[in-house]
Amino acid sequence: MKQIITRLSAVLMAALFALSFVTAASAASKPPPEMEAWLKAAKLGPYDKDENWDEITAKAKAEGEVVVYTSSGRIAKLVKPFAKIHPEIKVTVHDLGSVKSVEKTIREQNANIFNADIVTTGNSGQVIYEMLNKNRLVNYVPHHYKDRIPKENRDPLLIRVNEAMVFLYNREAYPDAPPIKNVWELTEPKFKGRVGMKNPLSSGSTLMGVMTLMQRPDEMAAAYQRHAGKPIKLSKGVADAGQEFWARLLANDLVIFKSGSKLARASGKKGQKNPLIAFANMTYIARNDSKGYANKILAKVDPVGKLVYPTFSAIARQAPHPNAAKLFTAYLLGSLELNKDSKLAKPYDKGASMTLLQGLAPYFDPGTVSPRSDVPLPAGGEIWDEMTGWTVDAGYMWKQGPKVRDFWTVHSSK
Amino acid sequence: MSLDTASSGSKPPVLSRSNLSYHVYRLVNQPEKILGLLCLAVLSVLVLGPLFEIIHDALVYQSYDLAYRPEAKVGSFTLFHLERVFTGPLSKALFLKPLFNSVAVGVCVTVLGVGIGSGLAWLMVRTNIRFKGVFGALAVVPYMMPSWVLALAWLSLFKNDRIGGNEGMITSFFGVQPPDWVSYGFFPIVICLALHYYAYGFLLMSGALATVDSELEEAGAIAGMNRRQRLWRITFPLLLPALGSAVVLTFIRILGTFGTPALLGLPVRFFTFSTQIYASLNARNSGDAFVLALVLIVMAITFIWINSRVIGIRKSFVTLTGKGFRQREIKLGAWQWPATIAVAAFLVVTVLLPMLILLWESLVITPGEYSLKGLTAHFWIGKSDIDIANGEPGIWHSPGILTALWNTIKLGVLAAVCNGMLGLLVGYAAVRGRGTLLARWLEGVAFAPYIFPSIALGAIYIGMFSTPWGPLPALYGTFTILVLITVVKNLPFTSRTGIAAILQIDKSLEETARVQGIGWFRRMAKIIIPMSSSGVTAGMLLTFITATRELSLIILLLSPANMVLTGVIFSYNEHDMTQHSGAVTLFLVMIIVGANVLVRMLTGGGGLAGLRHT
Repeated sequence: MKQIITRLSAVLMAALFALSFVTAASAASKPPPEMEAWLKAAKLGPYDKDENWDEITAKAKAEGEVVVYTSSGRIAKLVKPFAKIHPEIKVTVHDLGSVKSVEKTIREQNANIFNADIVTTGNSGQVIYEMLNKNRLVNYVPHHYKDRIPKENRDPLLIRVNEAMVFLYNREAYPDAPPIKNVWELTEPKFKGRVGMKNPLSSGSTLMGVMTLMQRPDEMAAAYQRHAGKPIKLSKGVADAGQEFWARLLANDLVIFKSGSKLARASGKKGQKNPLIAFANMTYIARNDSKGYANKILAKVDPVGKLVYPTFSAIARQAPHPNAAKLFTAYLLGSLELNKDSKLAKPYDKGASMTLLQGLAPYFDPGTVSPRSDVPLPAGGEIWDEMTGWTVDAGYMWKQGPKVRDFWTVHSSK
Repeated sequence: MSLDTASSGSKPPVLSRSNLSYHVYRLVNQPEKILGLLCLAVLSVLVLGPLFEIIHDALVYQSYDLAYRPEAKVGSFTLFHLERVFTGPLSKALFLKPLFNSVAVGVCVTVLGVGIGSGLAWLMVRTNIRFKGVFGALAVVPYMMPSWVLALAWLSLFKNDRIGGNEGMITSFFGVQPPDWVSYGFFPIVICLALHYYAYGFLLMSGALATVDSELEEAGAIAGMNRRQRLWRITFPLLLPALGSAVVLTFIRILGTFGTPALLGLPVRFFTFSTQIYASLNARNSGDAFVLALVLIVMAITFIWINSRVIGIRKSFVTLTGKGFRQREIKLGAWQWPATIAVAAFLVVTVLLPMLILLWESLVITPGEYSLKGLTAHFWIGKSDIDIANGEPGIWHSPGILTALWNTIKLGVLAAVCNGMLGLLVGYAAVRGRGTLLARWLEGVAFAPYIFPSIALGAIYIGMFSTPWGPLPALYGTFTILVLITVVKNLPFTSRTGIAAILQIDKSLEETARVQGIGWFRRMAKIIIPMSSSGVTAGMLLTFITATRELSLIILLLSPANMVLTGVIFSYNEHDMTQHSGAVTLFLVMIIVGANVLVRMLTGGGGLAGLRHT
C-alpha cells in the first residue's frame, strides 16, 4: 500500500503540472463564428429585426419542442395549457433551482452541448456577468410586447417576473400588531432561535435578499440609530452595519432551512405556540390559500420590508429550437389581450383567467409582479406598491458574492 | 509502468526473437497478468481520472476566485485554495470545525456501529439464539434503505418547535418538546448513521465468524487453553482482519456521508466535511470543495494504510479448503430468551419503526396530524384533486413515477451485472497475481473509489464526461453516466467480494485442472465461477441495493430523462410533500427488499449474507 501511495503521488504530481497549463477560459464579448451563424439563422441578437410572428409560429411548430431550464417548479404547470394552444410543440421543463440552472447551462455549453432553449432563473450577478456578458444567453423580447414593458425590465435582459424577499410572520401568534417595527429587533434576545431563513449558500434568491440589505450599510446604520437611540458598534471583523445585521442575526441563533416550502410552513402553520419569523420569498404568501397557512407579510418595517430581485428569461446560446423559444417567451409574458381592466378570478390557472394570463397564471400572487405595465393586480396585490423596497444590484452581486458567501460561512459556523 | 517480468538466470539478448516469444509464452500462461493489465487500464481512466481532476481543480484559479484576485487568470496554477482552507480567516469555519465534527461523528458511529454489528453477528452465527432466519433477513434491511430514511423518520418522531411547522410525533402525542440536542445535530446524526452502517460490521463479522472452524478452538482446548485464552489466541486473531475492515469501511464511509448530516445538522448549523463540500460545490467554488475532498481522501488513505500495516499481513487465511469443517453452537442457556427478545426489540426499533412512521406519514391527510381519523390512501393511489396537495396526484398516478421506477431498476440491474463481472475479473487477477506489483496496483486502484466523497465524484464526472472522451461520446445527462459512476463507486465492494471469493478457492484446485491441460476459459467456467458464485452474487446484490438507494453520488447527474426514485423522493421532500416522499420511500424499500428476497429464493439462501467473506 505504501508503495502504491508513493507511486500514485509521483504520477499525480507530474500530471498535475501538465494539466495546470491546459485550462483557460476566455471572456469573449464578440460571439464566436458558430454562434454568429446561429444568431443569423434564428434572427436573434443583431439580426432580431422586423419580426414576423406568423413565420415564427410556423417555424416553431416545425421545431416541435422547447426545452426550458428553470429555477421555478411552477413552469411545469404550464406544460399542459401550452399544449392546448400549440399541440405541435412539446414543452420539456427541467426544474433545476437557481444554482443548477446556471451550472448546467454553463457546463453543457462549455462542452459544446446545446440542449436548452430557454433559461429562466434569478441570481442576477451570475446571469448577467457570467452568462449574458459571455454569450451564453441572448436577450430576446417579442416585438409586440416591447411597448408594454418598461425599459428597465427588458434591458439588458428580459425580466420574466420580479419577486421579493420579505419577512413573514404568523398572524395567529401576533393578532394585534406585527411582531417588530425595525429589523434590528430580530437581533435581540426576544427572537433568539426564532428567526428562520433558507441557506443563502444554496438559495440564490435568499443570497440576493441578504446582499440587498448589505448593499446599503448607511441606511442600516441609520435604522439602528432610530431603533436603539445610539450609533451602532460593529463587532470584530465586521466591515459595516449591513454585515453587522446578518452577523448579529446569525449570532442570535438563526435557524437555517434547506427548503422554502418548509420555511413557509414553519412560520405559517396554524396553531403554533411560538412560530418563527421567516425571511422568505414573498410569493409563499400564496400558500395561505393553497395550504391554509396564516402567514402575513411584514409590510411596514424600518428601514425596508421588501427586497426585490428579478427572475430573467432568455434564449440560450445556440438553442436548438429558437422559434419555439420565442413563442414560449411570449407565452410566459401573458397574452396580448390582457390589460389593466381584465376581469380575473381565482383560481387564476383555470378558464378565462388562464386564457388571459397564460404563463403569468402560476405567478399571479401578491409576491410576484409581471414586468409588463399593463397587467392588473392579483387579489391582495396592492401590498407590493405599498411597501418600501430595495432592488438587488447585479454588479454588486457579481463582485461581492463570493466575499459575502465567505462572510456567511465564517459567521454561521458555531 | 513496467511489469516486473525480469527473469532470472541466463537471459537471451533483450530484443531477440526467442526472448520476445519467451515473454509472449509466459504471458499467455499467466492469464491473470493480461486480465490485470486490461482491468488496470480501464480503471485507471475511470478512477484516476477523477483524482487528477480533483487535484487540478484544487490548484488552479476558478472564476469564483476573481472576487479576491481580480488580476488572476482562470485556470492558472495557484495555492490560493490551500491558503483559504488551511490558513486563512475562513479556515476555522470551513476546515477545522467541520473536520472536528466529521471525525467525532466518524469515531462514535464506528464504535457504536461496529460494536452493534459484531454483537449481532456473534449472536446470530455462534449461539443458539432463536429465529435466526428472520433476524438474519431483518438485520440487513436498514442497510437496504437509503441512509437518510432514518433521519427523516427521526425528524418525524423527534422534531421540536425550533424548525416550526408540524409538530413531531413525540410533541403531538405527549405535548413535550424534545430538547434541541435530541432533535438535531451530533446526537441524532450518530444514532441514525450507526443504525444504518452497523450492517458493515454485521456482515463482515458474521462472515469471519462463520469461517472460524470450531475444531481450531477445540484443538486449543485440548492443548490446555482456557476459554479466555482460546478467545484471545485463536478466535480473535482470526476475526481481526474482518474487524479491521469493518472499522475502516465504516469510518471512511461516515466521513463522506452527506444526506443524514445535511438533514439533521442544518437546523442547528452543525456542519461536517461533506456538507461543506456540498455547499462549496453549490456555490460553484470547486476549488475549496476539492481541497476539502482531498483532505478526506488523504485521511482515508492514511487510515487504510494504518489498517494494512497493523493487520494486513494476516489478511489471507485460506479457510475454505477441500477439508472438513465444523462449527459448534454456543449454548446461551438461561440467556437464550433474553438475548432473543433484545435482538427482536432492536430490530423492531431500527427496521419496523422507521417504516411504520413513513407509512403513517404517507397516509395522513394533513402533515403532522397523526389522528386515525385523518388517514387516506390518496397519496398512494388518489387521482389529482385540487383540494389536496395542490392537485398533485398520488404516486401511483404521478406521470414521472413509472419512468423513475424503470430507470431505478435498470440502473440497479445493469450496475450489478457490470460490477459482478468486473469484480470477479479483478479478483482473479489480483489474487492469482498476488505479490506482484501489477496485482498490488490493481487492488489499490479498484479500492480507490471508496475514498472519494460521493458528492465530489459526481461533480467531477459531470466535468469529465461532458465532452467526448476518447472513444466515449459526451455522456452528460444520459443514463449511461449513471451506470458508469455507480459501477465505479461500487467497485471497491465488488472487487473485495471478488478477491475474497477467489482467495477461498485453493490454488491447488485450479492447478489440478491445469495439469490435465484444461484451458483458462474452461477453468473459469467450470471451477472459478461456480465456486465463487455465492460471493459474487452477494456482491451483485449489494451493488443492486446501493445503486437503487443512492442519491448523493448521482444527484448532480440527474435530469428528467434519467430520473430515478431517490431523485423523486428528494424532490418531493424539497417541496415539502411529506406524504408523497414517505410513500415513494416505502415503495423503494419494498423493491429493494423484494429483490433481496428474490435472490435468496433463486440462489437458495445466501442473499446479502453471502457477503460474509468480504
